[in-house]
Amino acid sequence: MPKPITVLVGALGGDGGGVLCDWIVAAAHAQGLGVQATQIPGVAQRTGATTYYLEVMRAAGPQSVLALNPAIGEVDVALATELLEAGRMIFNGFVTPERTTLIASTHRVLAIGERTAMGDGSFDVGRLLRAVKERSKSQMLFDMDQAAEEAGGVINAVLLGALAGSGRLPIPDAAFEAAIREGGKSVDTNLAAFAFGRGHARGELEQAVREHQKRQAAAIGVEDLIERARKSFPARSLDIVEEGIRRLTAYQDRKYAALYLDRLDGLNPELIRDVARHLAVRMSFEDVIRVAQAKTAPDRMARIRAEVRAKPGEPVEITEHFKPGNEEIAAVLPLWAARWLLARRPFHLSMHVRSTTVWGFARLRFLASLRWWRPRSFRYVEEQAEIERWLQSIKSAQALSPDLAREIAELARLVKGYGDTYARGLGNYRRISAEVIAPALAGKLAPSKAADAVANARVAALADPDGDSLSRTLAAIAA
Amino acid sequence: MLDQPLIPVAQRTNPERSFREEVRALRLGEGEVFRGEGILAVAKAILQAGVAYVGGYQGAPVSHLVDVLVESQDLLDELGVHLETCTNESSAAALLAASINYPIRGCVTWKSIVGTNIAADALSNLASPGVIGGALIVIGEDYGEGASVIQERAHAYALKSSLWLMDPRPSLPTIVRCTEKAFELSEATNTPVMMELRIRACHVTGEFVAKDNKPPAISRNHRLAEPAEHNYDRISHPPSTYAHEKIKVEVRQPAAERFIVEEGLNEFLPGDRADLGIIVQGGITNVLVRGLDRLEIEGKVPTLVLNVTHPLVPGQIADFCKGKRAVLIVEEGAPDYLEQAIHAILRKRDIDTKIYGKDVLPMAGEYTAEVVTEGLLKFFALSANDIDLAKPRERFEAARAGRTEAQRLLGGSLPLRPPGFCVGCPERPVFSAIKLLEREVGKVHISSDIGCHSFATLAPFNLGNSILGFGMSLAAAGAVAPVMQKRTISVMGDGGFWHNGLLSGVASSMFNRGDRVLVIMQNGYTSATGAQFIPNTAGNRRDGETTSDIAATLKGMGVKWLRTIRTYNVATMLNTLREAMNTNDKGLKVIVADGECQLARQRRIRPEIAGQLKRGERVVRTRYGVDDEVCTGDHSCIRLSGCPSLVLKPSPDPLRSDPVAHVNNGCVGCGLCGEVVDAAVLCPSFYKADIVQNATWWDRLVWRMRSAVIGAMAGTAGA
Repeated sequence: MPKPITVLVGALGGDGGGVLCDWIVAAAHAQGLGVQATQIPGVAQRTGATTYYLEVMRAAGPQSVLALNPAIGEVDVALATELLEAGRMIFNGFVTPERTTLIASTHRVLAIGERTAMGDGSFDVGRLLRAVKERSKSQMLFDMDQAAEEAGGVINAVLLGALAGSGRLPIPDAAFEAAIREGGKSVDTNLAAFAFGRGHARGELEQAVREHQKRQAAAIGVEDLIERARKSFPARSLDIVEEGIRRLTAYQDRKYAALYLDRLDGLNPELIRDVARHLAVRMSFEDVIRVAQAKTAPDRMARIRAEVRAKPGEPVEITEHFKPGNEEIAAVLPLWAARWLLARRPFHLSMHVRSTTVWGFARLRFLASLRWWRPRSFRYVEEQAEIERWLQSIKSAQALSPDLAREIAELARLVKGYGDTYARGLGNYRRISAEVIAPALAGKLAPSKAADAVANARVAALADPDGDSLSRTLAAIAA
Repeated sequence: MLDQPLIPVAQRTNPERSFREEVRALRLGEGEVFRGEGILAVAKAILQAGVAYVGGYQGAPVSHLVDVLVESQDLLDELGVHLETCTNESSAAALLAASINYPIRGCVTWKSIVGTNIAADALSNLASPGVIGGALIVIGEDYGEGASVIQERAHAYALKSSLWLMDPRPSLPTIVRCTEKAFELSEATNTPVMMELRIRACHVTGEFVAKDNKPPAISRNHRLAEPAEHNYDRISHPPSTYAHEKIKVEVRQPAAERFIVEEGLNEFLPGDRADLGIIVQGGITNVLVRGLDRLEIEGKVPTLVLNVTHPLVPGQIADFCKGKRAVLIVEEGAPDYLEQAIHAILRKRDIDTKIYGKDVLPMAGEYTAEVVTEGLLKFFALSANDIDLAKPRERFEAARAGRTEAQRLLGGSLPLRPPGFCVGCPERPVFSAIKLLEREVGKVHISSDIGCHSFATLAPFNLGNSILGFGMSLAAAGAVAPVMQKRTISVMGDGGFWHNGLLSGVASSMFNRGDRVLVIMQNGYTSATGAQFIPNTAGNRRDGETTSDIAATLKGMGVKWLRTIRTYNVATMLNTLREAMNTNDKGLKVIVADGECQLARQRRIRPEIAGQLKRGERVVRTRYGVDDEVCTGDHSCIRLSGCPSLVLKPSPDPLRSDPVAHVNNGCVGCGLCGEVVDAAVLCPSFYKADIVQNATWWDRLVWRMRSAVIGAMAGTAGA
């Protein structure tokens, strides 16, 4: 039986895997080559992984009996529209270093389990790339998603171009292009995307590197604070500390940024970087003033226009979704008023503010301008007390064990968000403080054990929103 | 919430999925080459066989058979072929009754095992009197990887009802020949024939030489003046049924065995090892042949390919096995019907050939390349160790070891990618609302159903306690509700409602005074199978009229507590669910959750919008976004929605490590994320952006003036 070239395609619903196969089949037919294909196309919905399998004969003439499934170790070309899907073909044993050319996009589309994590739940890309390098014969990897976006087409055409450029199939470029034309849909953009993929495969194109713009507040007026930081703290922590100074100056004022530096004084230099990072986030806690500041920042509109792909000259209307409740309002009131309000029945006000109208913007602007008042607000007082307690336990712990101190610093990750999210995070944080950190600082728990315990508890707190994992972990620690 | 004008269910029109190419292929004539998928080859083959009527209920992998014919109405009109898009498989099977009394050929199709279960009553009553016109049932045997139903074999139905079962080798010429021969077999034996096609066989591409289509002699174009003479023998009632039972085994089955041999329906692949043999289901042949090729012994072992797996022809089996040392049966799935039958055939004839089958191959699960290769290695090791398979075995073991190494490198299993709701799906908000309801009242027993909404049983919703079959969710809560302190919620699609839920669920619950909550997802199509029409779709393929309205139907049945709610409004949905759970009204409480299938909607409006933009008309495009400075990376929004366009990106903030939420360009502006944030009081990160395309001079003027004032305000603030 003549041996065909075997091609396995892994795609996500909506990537156009089926159309990609149609193109390959049509191009092979046009060359008089035997070709057969089959698929597990998933359901009509646009999620989920789909696989396609093709066999292309090397020359015109008799065909083999089509294998309906790919076989482990017998795939010549593996195509993947996404990096995890490349990993899946490797995981399933189809991609092998003896035989398989792997052509894959390096971008990631996170699976649902990765997205729902309460922190960073994404699969280790390093592992994927290592498996790709070690478990395939040759690789062609680039960000085809970006290439498709630049060409204005869909990723399948880029992948087809890369396949053509790889030279693994006895099919000339012209035949693939003819197949795209015959398909009759979005011909121009698909041809552009095809050309991009092919050019990349042949090394004719250097991939344009996407520029990640870092948004930084101006450093104006805090040079002296930055100078002070440079004198006081180790060099490898300075990028964070300087960012913290700029952040807090914009958030409140110079004085507040100076307080930030005061608070970092006296810490073990090993811990500065971690504590500085969390301290800056904690000190710039989210209240309505900060939200209004962010929503009225001068560069925001340009960023949104780019993100939603508005063309020059197209008006863009923005509507903000707010739902402040008694807690958010109490946060900016004086202590006595806040306590009175919090004792009342909870309520929430649904507000859809159109921030691109003069009146809508003016209201937000007014809120943002209230930052002078912030140090007198209820939330400010509460937060500062909480921060001081946290710093105190870090400072006590660093004498016992730097690891424990670092874990206590890291625990600040739990305190984030708004409303229920914030309350839940703070609750978990306090629980761990009371049930693990306090006993450790009181000497009831060995410091090395305590560091592990805090880390475990933090991971457990982020494992599920209902707190079941945390309860189990705390029980295990107490036992 | 979705700002585009709401389209009442009665005005949702054809989501136009085009089979233009395939429709052309159905018109190919004598000698022309047909190229395409297996299931479309079947569509062509039944027209070549002169079929007079076709019917079916959609479901992967056979939906295309009816879908392509729906778009070929001109051709069907010319030929006189009647087409019914049935409301369930039972009604499709019942169509075949036309062939009991009249010499006309008919073909029906559905997904199996589920569809065959639904059709079983009609099939039994059809098989008993038998047919005089050829009756073919094309079933999509949804078994193995990618299957979406319980794993059972349709084979059992063929055995119990004495229907003949074809399982053609997955190559287009064989599939086409079997389809044509199936009608002849049916007529020669007065028995309906089932033909099973597995998922990959339905989607396999290939070619065959076409014949002209044959207009049926009796058809809607050539009508009969008189009905058939009354003949009690053709009625499946006693005492006819006692006679039928005997005729089945005494007359029809021997006739079928003769036909199978005379027409050479089963294939014999020669090989020089006369002492060995393999008997394989037609549908598994490709995997087997490639497995033998992998072991470098392809063409060496004589093989009997059973394109007909019921009835077996005892003489054929015996002749094949006689004189052989060992024969391997390659039969996918449990139980091992073929293996047992072959054992019995050989035992009765005192043939002592050693039979291998489920002892070297697994009893259950798909027969993939790897599974069959392993089975072959075991078979040859036990039966013919003179064949040197050391090298292929080594290669096979090396590939497996390589996989183990790859899995070690990747460090355990990879994140799964289960199917989920589409971007902008109208059903997602209902489950977001149920999640929020559970925050208030605690966990609720959810009886789920078949359809897109069953994806709610997966992450991130993880809602649902059971799935009992299509349209069965309300009935399935019947004995749960009385033992629960809280009311139960049954979720059903409009597809499921018309398929079965109306009678099995609603009528039965009302009749028994059930105190339950039912949510009916009214999206206007059977969306999971590719947006086919149902009775509440606006119009059907014949005219623009809606057949039946769900709310009106429910009222007519006497449902008192009935609310129709637009799904995207999460707060209203939540309030309505709360009311349904807490009201003092006993009896059935139905919420019709209305929102057009977004996939269908996008297919319809995309070309419309493209046209408007081309003509220079003003179009407002809406989408949502997240301010990444405001997002703190908790991802509650994703846990309550799971929208594919609500993704994560690395935090641009050097001080925060957790990735932040991000709305990508797949967003269709349904507004659920904003609604959820509002209803669940999550965070102020979300914004809605309305981009005015082809803006008028007034739009531009207002925009410029606002921008100027806002720019001045932002500039002076210096935050």
